Amino acid sequence: MGLAPSDHVMNDSQAHALLRRLAAGDQKALGEFYDLFASLANGLALRILRDTADAEDVVQEAFVQVWRQAGRYDPRRGSPQAWLCTIARTRALDRLRRRVSRREDATDTPPATADAPQTEEALTVRKALDGLSTDQRRALELAYYEGLTQTEIARELGEPLGTIKTRIRTAMIRLREALGSEAS
Amino acid sequence: VTDERLMEMAPLYALGALDGDELAEFGRSLDGSPGLQTEVAAFEAVIGRLAYLHVTAPSSPRLRSRTLGAAGFFAPPAPVPAVRRDAPGRTSWLAWAAVLAAVAFGALFAWERARLGEARQEAADLRQERDTLAAEITEARLQLAAVQEQLGREVAFRELVAHRESRQTLLAGLAPAPAAVARVVWNPGTREAVLLAAGLDPAPQGKVYEAWVIAGGAPVPAGTFQVDASGKAVLRLPAVDETRSVKTFAVTIEPAGGTPAPTGPMVLAGAV
Repeated sequence: MGLAPSDHVMNDSQAHALLRRLAAGDQKALGEFYDLFASLANGLALRILRDTADAEDVVQEAFVQVWRQAGRYDPRRGSPQAWLCTIARTRALDRLRRRVSRREDATDTPPATADAPQTEEALTVRKALDGLSTDQRRALELAYYEGLTQTEIARELGEPLGTIKTRIRTAMIRLREALGSEAS
Repeated sequence: VTDERLMEMAPLYALGALDGDELAEFGRSLDGSPGLQTEVAAFEAVIGRLAYLHVTAPSSPRLRSRTLGAAGFFAPPAPVPAVRRDAPGRTSWLAWAAVLAAVAFGALFAWERARLGEARQEAADLRQERDTLAAEITEARLQLAAVQEQLGREVAFRELVAHRESRQTLLAGLAPAPAAVARVVWNPGTREAVLLAAGLDPAPQGKVYEAWVIAGGAPVPAGTFQVDASGKAVLRLPAVDETRSVKTFAVTIEPAGGTPAPTGPMVLAGAV
């Protein structure tokens, strides 16, 4: 099956150009950056929080943080949209932990994973993830989506802490290898 | 050389899964270790890309507008100068020693002074940033207060309209303003009343529009107003006793500041 030219490569160069404009204080660029990546950040926040209103708050906070810190963007941490998603994930997990501490539940149902996007970038990441064992994926998911620490994951899965550390480390290294230089 | 054990912690740290003493130890080591920072950054890049696994969820135009509005509260930060990375030196130790020897005590003193100057500049920059942030917070609070006030007015008006005892009186434009029209929503029980007017020209220079509540006796002044660019105005009337037995609502043109009794031409009137 032939794929169109890499959409994420086009997005990457566009995103870098937009981020340079953001760092120079061009507020119009924020609207363009938002139009390109808001649905990505919103999908991630919704997956973690399973609540539309909370996810929208996270999206807003993440874009405001990008606006305020565009000058501090470090390309070693990935593309601008990967940076945005890292910010959105961190904020979503903070919100999730506060919710857990208040014993609140999400109000929405989670989005169906069957509808996961079929872009080239999504397929590349999906393939990398498929290269992991079920145990590795499970441990990774608990950290990525639930924000659990290594100790909490060990408790959750009833496994020794050392096993969990090795499992997550190995999974992350495999993903990094599978995604290759594109990750940097 | 970066500790191998710390390097092994990097993926867990980047994922946010490190905890306890290990997290504290890693945090202490990270600042002083460019190698560790590079390792963490590379894993963060991997984590950032995992977002592509999800269903993208289109955001609403309302959220877009809200987000860009929120960003507008903050001035864009000044660009951070790129960190200078010196290339690894090829000069031998002896050459460095010679250079260092050439650097006299005076140069060292000058360097210390320069550092002091930099520290002072940094402190001044931080103070300025603090002042800027304080100003932004004040501005944001003022805007929030204005929004809350507006919201409060809208909520009060909705409650007034929805109240089962509330009534509505139409006011027709009179000779000085034939295109004008207005209505008063009012509640005889609570004495609340709101006037909504449209089709009015801007009041003449030095004049205002003044509303009146007329019961049995003399007209009672009920507030002054100006119209916006589209000729519209909304006025919350004061809760006066005459509202309980009002017979007529009216609007006249009066000197700026208003008058206790009508003196100018009547532009709107409506009998209850």
